[in-house]
Amino acid sequence: MSPARRRSFADRIFRALVRLFPFDFRSDHGRDLEQTLREQHREAQREGSMGALVRLWLDVGHDFFTTAPREHAAILRQDVGYALRGLRRAPIFALSAVLTLALGLSAMAGMFAIADAGMFRPLPVDRPEQLISISNRTGPPGLSFPDLQDYRRQTPGLADAIGYQAGPASLMVDGSSERITIHLVTDNYFSMLGVPPAAGRLIAPNEGRARGDAPVVVLAYEYWQSRFGGNPAVVGRTVRINGRSFTVIGVAPRGFHTESLVRIAAYVPAWMIDAFSYYSASAPSAPSAFDDRSARRFRVLGRLRSGVSIDEARAALAVTTASLAREYPSTHKDVELVVVPETHARPSIESSGFLRIATTVLIGLAAIVVLITSANVTNLLMARAASREREVALRAALGARRGRLVRQFLTEAVMLALLGVLAAVPAVVLAMRALRNVLAGASAIANLDPELVVNVRVLAASLAIAVGAGIVAGIAPALSACRADLGDRLKSGARAGSDGSGSRFRSALVVAQVALSLTLLVSGGLFVRSLEHARDVDLGFDPDGVFLATAAPGIQGYGTMQRLAFYRSVRDRIAAQPGVEAAAWISLPPMGIIGDLDQVSPDVQPTDPNWRPPVAMRFDVTPEYFAAARVRLVDGRLFEARDDAAGTPAVIVNETLARQLWPQQSPIGRMLKADGDTLEVVGVARNGKYMNIGEAPRPAIFRSFAQTVPGTATLAIRTARAAGDIGPAIRNVMQEIDRDVAVYDVRSMATHLDNGSAFMPFRLGAFMTTLFGGMGMLLAAIGLYGTIAYHVTQRTQEIGVRMALGARAADIIRDVLAQGGRFALIGIGVGIVLAAGVAQLLKGLLLGISPFDPITYAAVAGLLVAICLLASFVPARRATAVDPLIALRAD
Amino acid sequence: MAPRSRVEAFLPLTPPMLHTLVALADGDKHGYAILKEIARRTDGAVRLSAGTLYALIRRAEADGLIVETDERPDISLDDERRRYYRLTPLGRKVAAAEIERLEAIVEMARDKKLVPRPRSI
Repeated sequence: MSPARRRSFADRIFRALVRLFPFDFRSDHGRDLEQTLREQHREAQREGSMGALVRLWLDVGHDFFTTAPREHAAILRQDVGYALRGLRRAPIFALSAVLTLALGLSAMAGMFAIADAGMFRPLPVDRPEQLISISNRTGPPGLSFPDLQDYRRQTPGLADAIGYQAGPASLMVDGSSERITIHLVTDNYFSMLGVPPAAGRLIAPNEGRARGDAPVVVLAYEYWQSRFGGNPAVVGRTVRINGRSFTVIGVAPRGFHTESLVRIAAYVPAWMIDAFSYYSASAPSAPSAFDDRSARRFRVLGRLRSGVSIDEARAALAVTTASLAREYPSTHKDVELVVVPETHARPSIESSGFLRIATTVLIGLAAIVVLITSANVTNLLMARAASREREVALRAALGARRGRLVRQFLTEAVMLALLGVLAAVPAVVLAMRALRNVLAGASAIANLDPELVVNVRVLAASLAIAVGAGIVAGIAPALSACRADLGDRLKSGARAGSDGSGSRFRSALVVAQVALSLTLLVSGGLFVRSLEHARDVDLGFDPDGVFLATAAPGIQGYGTMQRLAFYRSVRDRIAAQPGVEAAAWISLPPMGIIGDLDQVSPDVQPTDPNWRPPVAMRFDVTPEYFAAARVRLVDGRLFEARDDAAGTPAVIVNETLARQLWPQQSPIGRMLKADGDTLEVVGVARNGKYMNIGEAPRPAIFRSFAQTVPGTATLAIRTARAAGDIGPAIRNVMQEIDRDVAVYDVRSMATHLDNGSAFMPFRLGAFMTTLFGGMGMLLAAIGLYGTIAYHVTQRTQEIGVRMALGARAADIIRDVLAQGGRFALIGIGVGIVLAAGVAQLLKGLLLGISPFDPITYAAVAGLLVAICLLASFVPARRATAVDPLIALRAD
Repeated sequence: MAPRSRVEAFLPLTPPMLHTLVALADGDKHGYAILKEIARRTDGAVRLSAGTLYALIRRAEADGLIVETDERPDISLDDERRRYYRLTPLGRKVAAAEIERLEAIVEMARDKKLVPRPRSI
């Protein structure tokens, strides 16, 4: 390389290095700095030693990368100090800007907290990024225990895999029992997750793998704290779970969980599955869930071998799946795995899709709220900039460069936004706590407890958004305040802010705010209308006048006969109460947060090779259920006394299942297989909705309660009596019959639907979107009021003249209102286009309503026109109160 | 004349700042000349980097210790246009005050026999 070329290369690097310094520094000293570097370089070259050159480069590199950031920091310190002093001098401006920003940013931060818990926060375990969720696409999403073992052994890309299953249990210690949710876990659960115990030890590999191993339990840290006061002496003690003795061997670490929605109190080895199974097998000969390949009940997490990608693991798992399908064609030919990162399978693989769409949409709406907020703050900053023109001109005259001034104004806007975040955080923390309580209170049986917290990640994301919002809000005022022609404008004595472009810009802002809040309100309106529709959907049963109460004799350790006796006497006693039309037991009521699925196949399997056995909702019911819930039977008979443990296992199918299994034939008398049992179809029930209001007709089976006798069941009572009257009556009867049996979730069917999967998503959606819509509308109204008031102030003189010339107050008011109305109409026009775009994205979340529902759009537009006129009316009235003489003197 | 308290507000100076002010004491110089002067006078013991130097110059200018001067010593020696800096009266006082301060410390150390006195003056 020639010296000349080397020099030019060095020059280029010097120039690039000088760019690291702040703008002001560069324009003052950049050229000199470059030249000094060139001279130093030349001198080092003259020395002729490689050492001198290397020393120079090291020296320059070190120098620039320490000095340049220090210079930036010095400017930032200066600007921040200047901004804070400025804000302290204008406390009302500062407070209104900070509170406005806090409103928008709290919406965003809240959504971040929800998204973080639902989609981003890694599990608190060793190398969580290696974890993948493995589930079944067709049929129940879980895997069976033996399948899990095969996948562990036969899949090369998988370091290991664990299975777990949540279930209700009752934990008794010192004579008092409490209902908890436990995890049944495979022996390698804790070792694969790589977590250390907080006390004692955790379940070890190969522990509790064989039936008959010592019953042990690991407590969750939080449960250990709340129930045992964090006493380490609890390790080694015996507690009773579901009537059996378990030795506490240790405590899981603080904050540990693999479940994002449900609070787990204890971990028990999976071999206990038969004792905990929600449904005890109907026949004693039925295979244990431990070795039944069709009992797909385990949620599975795998750990990728290091260096193996999820795609490779997916391919390797598919190979294992294919070999299982060859080996077990009757049960496995339909198996197709869904393999996704663990974070994509929250709160469960079935609901993660909905959660992700809903969260994304809500984050988008929150971003609109932030934009409206920024627009409002822009308005405030514009007004402030106008009043600071003299100060800016003075500083420019003293040598401050334009870029420097713009940077300073932006710093002020960003400071406001950061203060806004600080103000928003307490509100968001409270809101998340409230949401957590709402979800926790939704159902005692589900034990919901999502970890909705404002953590470092949420805070960092919110701060980033705040910086963005600050820049968006501050850029236009900063540029307009630091215009180059400012000095001339001052000299000419023009009145601050009276030029056309500033006022046009503020008008444009108001129009944008109206448009954006229309978008928010339309989204909110569509969700509210969806909720209305949801309530009108034909559920296939009649929820009015039905009360529910759940009892769990099974978790008391009662055997089948004892449970049956309890259920019978409770039902008989309640049915005999005055005003009770019907009373029946059901394993799990429809539209709860949890439901049970069974894969069913007919006695004669279709010959079509593509045929797959359907997955049906399963309800175990007593005969009276059909009367209590008013589910119509369309064929065959109801359950009878003979459908008990001694009789042939009986089943009633719904219309959809009947059509799927026996098209154009009567299903009565046919046999079907479900959950390892062979059942005789005795009746056909009308279709209904079972888990979700929006679901397509899906297959369902009703099994005879007397033949399955679940450990937990819900009494459904049809009565004309009032809630406050029937609730305590149900509780009393249950307590009289057996005071040890836990009774919970005594509620009306309407409440159950509100808190369950039926209406909860729609209610939350409607609540969040109308909340955001309300915020947007309020902010837009404030912005419009400010702008109209500003325009009116500008026109004080003109109005004074007109009044002096005899104009009536009504004319002036009409004039000002017309201006507000114009803003509203343009904003609405733009907003409708915008809203239609956003509504497209909502389509999947709406029910029974078009995203272009004209009623919603018209109602929202009308509301906004009214708000705009109202916001214009106050300044309009004030304008007419102006004394013409004073108005004329004002200028 | 700057009041004494105003001068003292700048003390103590950092060694690079003191060296820079001292380098300008006998005449106007541009940045590179300041660097060379400091290196020469200290036998290479103190070597300022270019970035550090201009950050110092910037601060000293803002504080009124030095000013940029329009006068050029000799246009033939000055092949490229660059900025020259001159010590202000305030800068001179500040540098002198810093040296007095250092001298007082040296004197104190000598009294305590921490360092020997020079044999002859």
